[in-house]
Parts: sequence; C-alpha cells; structure tokens
Amino acid sequence: MRSRPLALRVWTAQTNAHRRAFATTVRCRDVTERDSKGNIDVGKLLSQPTWSVASLLPAKDQQPGGPEISSKQLHHLLRLSALPAPKDAAEEAAMLSTLSSQLHFVKDIQQVDTTGVEPLRSLRDETAEGEQEAELGMEAMKEALGMETVRGRYHQRIRRRRRGDGVDGESEEGEKWDPLGTAGKKVGRFFVVEGGKDG
Amino acid sequence: MSNVTLRLAPATLTRGLSRITSPTGRIPRPCIVSKWLQSRNLTVVAAPIQEAIPLRKHLKDEAKRKRAEAKSNGGTKPHAKDSRLKKWELTVGIEIHAELNTACKLFSSASAEGTDGVANTRVASFDAALPGAQPHFQVATLLPALRAAIALDCKVQGKSGWDRKHYFHWDQPNGYQITQYYEPFAKDGVLRLHASDGVPLADLNGAESIEIGIKQIQMEQDTAKTTHHRPSTYHIDYSRAGHPLIEIITLPHVHSPQTAAAVVRKIQMVLRSVDACVTGMELGGLRADVNVSVRERGTEGTGSSYSGVSGLGQRTEIKNLSSFKAVEDAIVAERGRQIDVLEAGGVIEGETRGWTLGATETTRLRGKEGEVDYRYMPDADLPPLVIGQDLVEHLRSTLPELPSETVERVRNLYGLSLKDAKTVFDLDDGDRLEFMEETIESVQRKLGRTDIDQLEIGKLVSNWIIHELGGLLTTTELNWESMNVTPGELADVLVNLHNKHITARVAKQLLSTLIETPASARSSVEQLIDDGKLRLRPLSEEQYQAFAAQIMDDNPEMVVAVREKGQKGKIMWFVGQMVRRGEEGTVEPEKAREVFDKLLVV
Repeated sequence: MRSRPLALRVWTAQTNAHRRAFATTVRCRDVTERDSKGNIDVGKLLSQPTWSVASLLPAKDQQPGGPEISSKQLHHLLRLSALPAPKDAAEEAAMLSTLSSQLHFVKDIQQVDTTGVEPLRSLRDETAEGEQEAELGMEAMKEALGMETVRGRYHQRIRRRRRGDGVDGESEEGEKWDPLGTAGKKVGRFFVVEGGKDG
Repeated sequence: MSNVTLRLAPATLTRGLSRITSPTGRIPRPCIVSKWLQSRNLTVVAAPIQEAIPLRKHLKDEAKRKRAEAKSNGGTKPHAKDSRLKKWELTVGIEIHAELNTACKLFSSASAEGTDGVANTRVASFDAALPGAQPHFQVATLLPALRAAIALDCKVQGKSGWDRKHYFHWDQPNGYQITQYYEPFAKDGVLRLHASDGVPLADLNGAESIEIGIKQIQMEQDTAKTTHHRPSTYHIDYSRAGHPLIEIITLPHVHSPQTAAAVVRKIQMVLRSVDACVTGMELGGLRADVNVSVRERGTEGTGSSYSGVSGLGQRTEIKNLSSFKAVEDAIVAERGRQIDVLEAGGVIEGETRGWTLGATETTRLRGKEGEVDYRYMPDADLPPLVIGQDLVEHLRSTLPELPSETVERVRNLYGLSLKDAKTVFDLDDGDRLEFMEETIESVQRKLGRTDIDQLEIGKLVSNWIIHELGGLLTTTELNWESMNVTPGELADVLVNLHNKHITARVAKQLLSTLIETPASARSSVEQLIDDGKLRLRPLSEEQYQAFAAQIMDDNPEMVVAVREKGQKGKIMWFVGQMVRRGEEGTVEPEKAREVFDKLLVV
C-alpha cells in the first residue's frame, strides 16, 4: 500500500479511536483521490464539506439527548449569570428548548474518554525550561528582597521600607487616569450604588 | 389647691393605711381615702428629703449592691452552665483574613498604601474591572505571604494555582474574586499555644501546650470598601479592591471560646513579628470567621466531618468578627443557642450567622437555600505560581524571632517576669526591647566587672525602661520616636544608681531632666550630677540618729501611734519626712528605715 502522509494517518487513527464522538458525523474516507503523480486535487477535496455543525444538534424529530431542565434550575442559572428572568411562559419555554439542544451537544462532547487527562487551563510553556523561567526563586525576588531592611542589632526585625523612607514615590507605571471617569453615578470621590430592592 | 406643704398624717392613721400603699413605693392611685387626706393636707408617704449624696459614696454603694446581687444569683447560674458544658462539647474552626504588608496590590501595580484620605485614588484598570484589563501577579507580594506560611510551620507547595470564585456584589467589580481554592500555596501547619497565651486549663488537659492544626494558607484579593448611607445607598471606594490578603484556615481543634480568641490573638502577634501583616484587628486589617458546632460528649454528633476531623455536630458559620472580644462573645452566644435548640429536640441547620457588638445572640444572615454557588474554576489569565525551594530556605533561615522565642530569650537572659517580658517585646514595634538590650550591655561594660549577675542588671534596667521611662513618656505626652534619651545616658544614670552614687529619687529626676532637655542643650549625665550637686553624700550613723530623733521630737503623736498603737505602717511616714526634710542626695530611704525601725520599736 502506498504510504499516506503522516498527518492523514494520525487524523484517521484518532477518528477511529474515538468512535463514539460525533457519532452522527459522516466518517471521512480513508483514501483521498490522487492523480497519477500522487498529488491531491485540492479544489475537489475542499468542494464537498465532510462535516456540519448540524450534526451536533438533535435532528428535528429526535428527542434531545441531554438531561431534563426544570424551571427552577433555569431560574437558578439565570440568577447566577445575572440575566433577567423570562417575561412569560412562552419565553421560558423557548429558553428551555434552546438550553436542551445545547445540552445535547455538550453530551456528545462528554463522550470523549478523558481518563488520566489533566484539563487544560491555558496554553503555556510546560517544558522544563519554561517552568524554570516561571519559578520564583532568589533571582526573581532579588529586587523585592532589596526593598527590606533589618532593624535593630540585639532584637533583629525585618521591616519593609515604605514610601517616605527613601523609597521612590512613583510606583504606578504612569497610570494617570481618573477611575471616577467611568462612573455613571458619583458623590464626591465615591462611586454610588443604590442597594434597594431593585438595585 | 392651696400652696400649703403637706404634713405627715399621724402615726395611727399611717399604720392603718400602710396596707394600701403599694409595695413598690409608687404613689398610690387617688382613692377616696387619699383624696380625704389630701384635702386635709396630709399624706401617708413621707416626702422624700432631697439630700446631696456624694458621688463617690453613691458609686461605692452601687458597686456593693451589685456584688450582693451577683452573690445571691451567682450561686445558681455558673452551676447550671457547668452542668450543660459537662454534657455538651464545643468545637470551633477559625478562618482568618489578614491584609498583607506589601507595596502594591496582588494583581496590579497600584499602590497598596497611603491614600491621604482621598477615595478611589489607588485604582489600576484591573482593579476597576475595565473590559480587557489583565491581571499581572506582583511577585513582591509573595515575600510576606511566604514568611507567614513559614512562621506558622506550613509546607510551602512548589506549584499552586489561581481560581475564580464567582459572585455578584458591588464591591467585587470583576464579578469574581481571584483566590486559591483548589491548590493553595501552603498546607498543613501548626500553631502552638500555652497557658500564658490565654488558654484555659481545662483545654490544656495537663499538657504544656496545645497544638492547633492549620489546614491551609491561601492568597486572595480583598474587596472594595463600602459605606452605607441612609436607607439604601452605598458609597464605594475601590482603593482597597485587589489588595492582597492571606486566608488562614485552622482545623476544628479548638474546644473553648477563650482558646478561639487566644488563637486569633496569637496569629496576629506572629504575623506582626515577621512583618507579614502589620495592621491589627482594631484597624480592620485582620478579620475572623468562625465555624461553631456542638456535640454530646462521648458521641459522634451528627457524624459531620471536616478535613479529617470526624464525629462533629452540624456547624454554623459566624462571619465578620472584628475584635478578640467579639470572637469570644459570639462563640459563647452561639454555643448557648445551639445547646438550647438541641436540648429542646430541634435540629441545627447549616446557616451563616452574624454578630453585632453588644448583642446577646447571633443573627441569621443566610440559610442553606441562600447558599451561593461560587462556580470555582481555574483562572486562565494567570500562570500557576511556582515557588523556588531556595527562596523558601532563605526566608526560613532569615526569619525574625517569633514572639514566643523572644519572650523566652528575654526571660532567660535578663530574668524578666513573664508579664514584663510580654509587655516589653510588644512596645513601640520592638524598639523598646532593642533599647533595653543595648542599655543592659552598656551598663555591663561601664560597670566593668564580670561578676555582676546579668539577671540582676536585667531586672534593674527592665524596671526602669518599662515603668519609669514609660511613666515619664505618658506624663510628658511624648511618643517613643521623639524621646531623645540614649541608651548610653540611661546606662550612666543606672550605673551611678547601682554604685550608690545617687539615690533612686535623684535618678528619676535626672531621667526627667534628660527627657525634657533638647538635644542641643545636652550635657552628660556626670555633668548633670555634679552641677546639681546630686551626688549622694551619705550621712553617718550618728547623723541619721540625730536627724531621726529630731523628727520624732517634732511629731510626738506619730511616735505614740507607732509605739503604743502598733501602727507599723507609719514608720514609712517618718522615712518620707526625713527624705523630704533632708538635703537632696543625702538621705537613703533604706538606711533611714533601718534607723527608724531601731529607734521606734523600743
């Protein structure tokens, strides 16, 4: 068999391994059409979509696969997100149906086997050198340690040198802005909030 | 009604009517008899004679009355309480939030100190939650946090994370607080308390000290400051938003309210001594929340457990206690309430309660249904906190003395009493102790002899520094920084006193003179003694006798009082007379006392 490009081999291996994921996806074929020279007809390859987002949502007549959401849960979620409650029963029904379609999609995602996989928090340099750079040791803290003095000879105490003890007064990196400029309501130098029942 | 003063009715009539008069001494409701009496200008109630009672007497009488009352009820109350406490055991867990001593905030470079009283000045864009503003961890804030963890004997984690705790409140502009929920930076510490820290003996159970486990310490952001105005308006100051805090969570190892207050006090002292948190509870720099539960002794309560400690009752949380006394009082009140509920057959609910000063019971703030869903999640904007082991070791080796170590050292080296040692190390941010140690060394050098007991000198110097110098500072209303007596000068005075060149009275005068003289017009102690002719010219035995005889002749009644009535205390009066009448720097009170003892006790 003619050897396939590495990317294609890896991709198909993955789709074969996670068989249940995206179960309604049309499985891509193993072999891509090539001409006599072995080149891929890119235009033809890209002309036909092999996957649609519609596959993530339940079909029109299909029951949503997600869990049942009660009205109480909906209101709890709306409160947690500081979103306004639905105006009437129709709007609530619409919200509930949208939510269950979205949960159908989430359930599909949850089919992925993640045993032993640490959730990714953000893209960072996780190499040994990267961690070394991020480590806060003596070198990184040198400047901060220099801002302290030892006070006393018999009873030695550590004291941070404060502004006015010969420390440079300018600590902000030129952040000269008026925080109150963004205030809708203010009294003197304070932001004002009405904490009443509606507030 | 004519303007005639009422006369007292004749005794026979009074006796007969005494049954009618109300027992509380109130003026009885007008009735036919009293109206009849009134019409004849007679009354059965003696008109109160307005006498001026001296205030002191009045206060003394009130105090006596209260004591008598307390005695009459006091027999029953503690007894009832004790039996309840024998049956029910208290368990307390404490969470302390302390403001770190840093130059900038936790995730922005806005300054963390000094407002000059103007609100909303130290606010960076991230503190005001401007859209798109990113947090940047300020590495200098790590130092006080690490020192706090090392001082409380915790294991510092090499890698810890930042998590978001979501809730909506006007003092939380971002809509979430950045804290370390899943991976705190320090875990598994211990705090040791002794009886001298205020732990009741019942808790010590015969041991020298008790150990309170510290579950973890985590760093987090502070919220903005809100002030309430009129019915429902709030003024917000974001200068405090984002200020670094550490949260210290103890295990439920505390079993009495006094111990709980002692734990908070000790933690504040320890944090202050390592310069980690220098604002105390009274200034709002340290806040405590307590979790309280009770269970019957010998049972497993409701089977609840927390962090490995099991068999506890249902706990309730009391939030925002802002003084040591409040901690103790709130726990006592909550314990009483929980025992009442359980003894009446009820069930304790896991709720959040509040406490106000002067209240007798905690108030309910939030029930279980009102529990907030914080939706903790790792913050994706911040990299994990990686702490180098070399830094931890450096800080551990250079950690300042902890309060218990200082007190022990001072007692061992200088022989101070426990009370004096605890007083002096806390005065003037440790500067007074420094002064004391320098003075002691100076005195030793000037005396030159090595056979002098350091403990003896230590006692002398410490007495002068704590009591005499302290007293002078109060009377002259100076603070320590502006006091200009140097350790050398004080050492001079005390050396002269020790060598009996001057009397104690003269020494006090010298000190007072030194404090009041400005630095420019300063002369040395020796010069002052010579100029003022203060050097002790001891009198001979005969001179003492003659002087004493003279005073005794002048005051025959006092002599009689001592000799015949046996009022030995009056001997000191004679000594005082001799000191007063004698020339400055001649009479030694101890010697005078001896002489008078011999002469008066015939």
